[in-house]
Amino acid sequence: MTGKGKLLWQITKGQRLRYLSAIAALIAASCFLYLVPLIPTAVLNGVLADADEQVSPFMAWIVDVMGGRAFVISHLWVPAAVIAALAVTAGGFTYLRGRWSAIASESIIRRLRNRLYDHLQHLPCSYHDKAETGDHVQRCTSDVETVRLFLSMQIVEIGRALVMLIVPIPLMYMLDARMTIVSLVVIPPIVAFALIFFTKVKSAFKDADEAEGKMTSTLQENLTGIRVVRAFARQDFETKKFQEKNATHRGLDYRLYYLMAWYWATSDFLCFTQKALVVCAGAYWLWQGELAVGTFYFFLSAVSMFIWPVRMMGRILTDLGKALVALGRIEEILTSQTEAQIDAQQVTEPALLPEPRRGEITFDHVRFAHGTSEDVLCDVSFRVEPGQTLALLGPSGAGKSTIIHLLLRFYDADAGTIRLDGADITQLDRMTVRRQIASVLQEPFLYSKTIGENIKIGRTTANEDETTEAAVTACLHESIEEFDKGYDTLVGERGVTLSGGQRQRVALARAILQKPAVLILDDALSAVDTETETLIIDALRKRRGRHTTIVIAHRLSTLRHADHVIVLDQGRIVQTGTHEKLVAEEGRYRRLWSIQTSLQEDFGKQLTSAAHPRTQ
Amino acid sequence: MTDDAIHEEEYKSRLDLRLWKRVIQHARPYAWHLVGLGLSGLALALIEALLPLITAWIIDAATDGTVEVGESNLMLYAGIYAVLVVSICIIIWAFIIMAGKVATGLAFDIRRKSFIKLQQLPFSYYDHRAVGWLMSRLTSDCTRLSSLFPWLTLDLVWGTFTLGSVTAVMFVLNWQLALAVLTIVPPLTVISVYFQHKLLHSSRAVRKANSQLTASFNECIMGARTTKTLVRETENLREFDETSGGMYRHSVRNALQSAVYLPIVISLGSIGAGLALWRGGVSLGESITLGTLIAFMQYAAMFYIPIQELARRFTDVQMAQAAAERIQGLLDTEPDIRDSDEVLARIEEQKQHDPRPGIAIDGHAARIERIEFEHVAFAYKDGEAVLKDFDLTVRAGETIALVGATGGGKSTIVSLVCRFYEPTEGRILINGVDYRERSLHWLQSNLGMVLQSPHLFSGTIRDNIRYGRLDASDEAVMEAARLVNAHDFITASENGYDTQVGEGGGRLSTGQKQLVSLARAVLADPQIFVMDEATSSVDTETEQLIQTGIERMLEGRISFVIAHRLSTIRGADRILVIDAGRIIEAGTHGELIERRGRYFDLYTSQFAKEREEFVLQT
Repeated sequence: MTGKGKLLWQITKGQRLRYLSAIAALIAASCFLYLVPLIPTAVLNGVLADADEQVSPFMAWIVDVMGGRAFVISHLWVPAAVIAALAVTAGGFTYLRGRWSAIASESIIRRLRNRLYDHLQHLPCSYHDKAETGDHVQRCTSDVETVRLFLSMQIVEIGRALVMLIVPIPLMYMLDARMTIVSLVVIPPIVAFALIFFTKVKSAFKDADEAEGKMTSTLQENLTGIRVVRAFARQDFETKKFQEKNATHRGLDYRLYYLMAWYWATSDFLCFTQKALVVCAGAYWLWQGELAVGTFYFFLSAVSMFIWPVRMMGRILTDLGKALVALGRIEEILTSQTEAQIDAQQVTEPALLPEPRRGEITFDHVRFAHGTSEDVLCDVSFRVEPGQTLALLGPSGAGKSTIIHLLLRFYDADAGTIRLDGADITQLDRMTVRRQIASVLQEPFLYSKTIGENIKIGRTTANEDETTEAAVTACLHESIEEFDKGYDTLVGERGVTLSGGQRQRVALARAILQKPAVLILDDALSAVDTETETLIIDALRKRRGRHTTIVIAHRLSTLRHADHVIVLDQGRIVQTGTHEKLVAEEGRYRRLWSIQTSLQEDFGKQLTSAAHPRTQ
Repeated sequence: MTDDAIHEEEYKSRLDLRLWKRVIQHARPYAWHLVGLGLSGLALALIEALLPLITAWIIDAATDGTVEVGESNLMLYAGIYAVLVVSICIIIWAFIIMAGKVATGLAFDIRRKSFIKLQQLPFSYYDHRAVGWLMSRLTSDCTRLSSLFPWLTLDLVWGTFTLGSVTAVMFVLNWQLALAVLTIVPPLTVISVYFQHKLLHSSRAVRKANSQLTASFNECIMGARTTKTLVRETENLREFDETSGGMYRHSVRNALQSAVYLPIVISLGSIGAGLALWRGGVSLGESITLGTLIAFMQYAAMFYIPIQELARRFTDVQMAQAAAERIQGLLDTEPDIRDSDEVLARIEEQKQHDPRPGIAIDGHAARIERIEFEHVAFAYKDGEAVLKDFDLTVRAGETIALVGATGGGKSTIVSLVCRFYEPTEGRILINGVDYRERSLHWLQSNLGMVLQSPHLFSGTIRDNIRYGRLDASDEAVMEAARLVNAHDFITASENGYDTQVGEGGGRLSTGQKQLVSLARAVLADPQIFVMDEATSSVDTETEQLIQTGIERMLEGRISFVIAHRLSTIRGADRILVIDAGRIIEAGTHGELIERRGRYFDLYTSQFAKEREEFVLQT
């Protein structure tokens, strides 16, 4: 609660004065708004009524201000003009209130959005591993929207209801104390009813929301898996599944209408009862001669003016709970430590990377585990000289990708040190480390920009020739040229859908263009066909020496040209050496090699037997 | 039709009556509810117009000098007032209930119809539309359209009759005063229509900006790692700030418009009350009573509400028109791949008989002996021809491997076999019968398919394998998993077969997903088996282990295999080298090697060098 309060206080910084002004305008507007019915009251009581009737001094004063009884009775347009002037003034203040509160709340929300966005991209990978995308997007959109409504509408509405209720009380009291009590007697039940009602039915709203969520995700799964549905002819099964969710949603949604029917009917009944009380009590006293007609009119108008905002207040007060929950969920994100915050606790002054950048990598007895689970990497040591190529090989789950992730400082090693150009990377700024490394990850992510922008994203200063050159190296240039808009083709939902192989090649071109000291290819060509892959590998081999390269792949053909091969199994290095050395020695590498080459050996036999007849 | 994907929120200012005539058909089952809503609106309007009148009578009765008359009248009027208030509350209760019935029922119906339609539409429909776009047809569009009908009916009747009856009552009371008060109506109407129009535009801009924001956040989270590797945080934030700035501007504009609009109409109401006081006060006592004067002032103050509501509903209709167009567009799309009437008739006829062994639901033989491509040509919509004059005959028990560069047409051939698309020219025959004369459902329930990026449904691993055959026993599920060597990794997982795979199978690796989807296809026991790069992400050792299982499994079936790995292709009965939509070579592995053509090149380029070196080393 205190955390949420603090967050709320923090984000309103710079806008508090504007908010205060909005409140002032709100009070001013309400005062003027109540003055409007006061004029007819004064006219009815002090001008149009019989001259001998008792007129309250306040009313008499209002009449005097307008020029006195005799003047007003012959110039009735004067009170009409005063009413218009008051109404317009009230309108002016209402506008100012709306303007200031809108600008204040929208500015606050804009800053909150920016802060969330920036915070999210600086959170460590360990956080993103656990985070569910949908849930987080929801926090950043609908939860923020809930807070926005709270700031721009709910606070204002509650304030308005309170001001509207409080401002006329002295006026009413001045006019008639008994009527004042009658006018307010049903107000507490109205607010209480709304509060109790919405607290009780909260779960019904949640149920309906959840049912809608389930229906939507069933729909989404069906649409994304439409090929599977068709391939197994499961249309009926899917329709039944969707219909169940659809029906549940309809039922729960209808329940909301049912509940709201009771709510509105009851609360309207209470509101009308309040009005009826004023009318009946007023009429009775009027008839008894204890109440002036004008006063009666004022009470009637005042009740009509404050009863509806008050009725809304009960509803809004229960919504405040929602805003608090949303604020809590947002706070959870914002209080999670960013990479920089984590580093600041360990390293006060980040070390500098020696110039020139060479791309030398050393792993020294590195151990790593995710949380408290088993070791993913255990006592891993190796060294890659600048410009050399290291290949990592092993079954899935052996720890190949983890080595990459540690080097990129997605995670930090639990023991041992990793050095880049001789500097312990935990002593460096994470950004500095990452700037040296260009990587193509297993499932490459492209931004929803054009293909050209995606390639240039790592080095926006690159010129067209360099971009094209990178695309050529990645065997991508021709595919791009085939698109209508070439490099200006949009990627993603609104543009073209690239195949897995094309995405990988875009990511590769992007990495090449970065001109990094270290290039990492994490199973980067798995979706590219063999012929193209061969071309790419040849092109990459020509670039040898420009940067240190780390390659992970399943196909030995991709790994063969490495200067150095490391075979991993269950987080440990089981074999290491050049391709030639590993093929020669007994072990996993040779076993893998023979699986792949036995096929080729057969192939070779057929090749020679097929070749012979022709040469003879 | 493709344009609507881009102009999502296009504004339609003119009412398309033909469209609405069609859309209104969906509301047919709720006609009585809508009539009820109209009546509620009518009753409400009349009562609300009466209430100030009652107040006026009460005041007149109370200020009347004659005491006896006053007292009894007072009680009478109070009684009438109470009855009216209770009726209002009952009407309110009833119309919310009716609106709920219509809104939720209509949404349910439209969703059901759209979903069924989506299950029938061919892939060519999906090719141009993003999943998110299709989803919003069944979510936001559907909600907007279905809640429009009840509230529009209610407010249209209520608003019109409130205006009408208040005007009538005022004229009956005092026509001069009525005219004076009514002078505020023209400016009220003009201002309301103008501002509602403005608000419609600005709120649309807000929604657009909001979906951009959502997309940005999505990208921020999905691409978190990539952003880190590219050290792009600052640049990203700068771009996001532009997006959130757009949202800020649109939201403030929208709020300011409301901030101007509401005070203006409320002020106009007060001015109306002032006019009543002025004109009424002058003739007070002569042609007008105190009560009447007060009633007039109350009427003047409430005039803006129905006008405002009517203007708002009118913009609602404009807003919903785009939604209605998109939904109706979806429902009106006729699937171009479906059973012909003749086939449907035969299926009906078959249903009369007891199921005969060996006969499919469409009356033809159930066993697939032969699939033939006869001069088949195919082009995707407005695209170049992918296949040209393609001939191929496949017999039961044959495994056909398709090789060649990406984009050559391999996947198209498979999609045509599965009848996901139909040939644009030529025919595909099953047992000598054009497959357009066979049941689509029958053909597709005989398919087993494993794709490179396999899709799993959220649920357990067991559920996902069982998707292949819904009535399969747990043993059968396990057996299928064993056959493809998935059993080991499954039992090694914490909850075994009951492990949740997560949304889209996200908690499994790509290789694991491929194994599960392979098991799923195996369990389906299909006559036609399709593997499109089905094991590309499975490691070499596991792949080797699955191979024998798969070979056993392919026996007696017609299978199509697309793969880059030699191991998967070598055993095929026939290998087709596809390039630019044509078969340029066909034969067994041995034959093709002998031919020294394209296939030979393909594989020598990759393996010859490796072999050379290997031989040198050993």
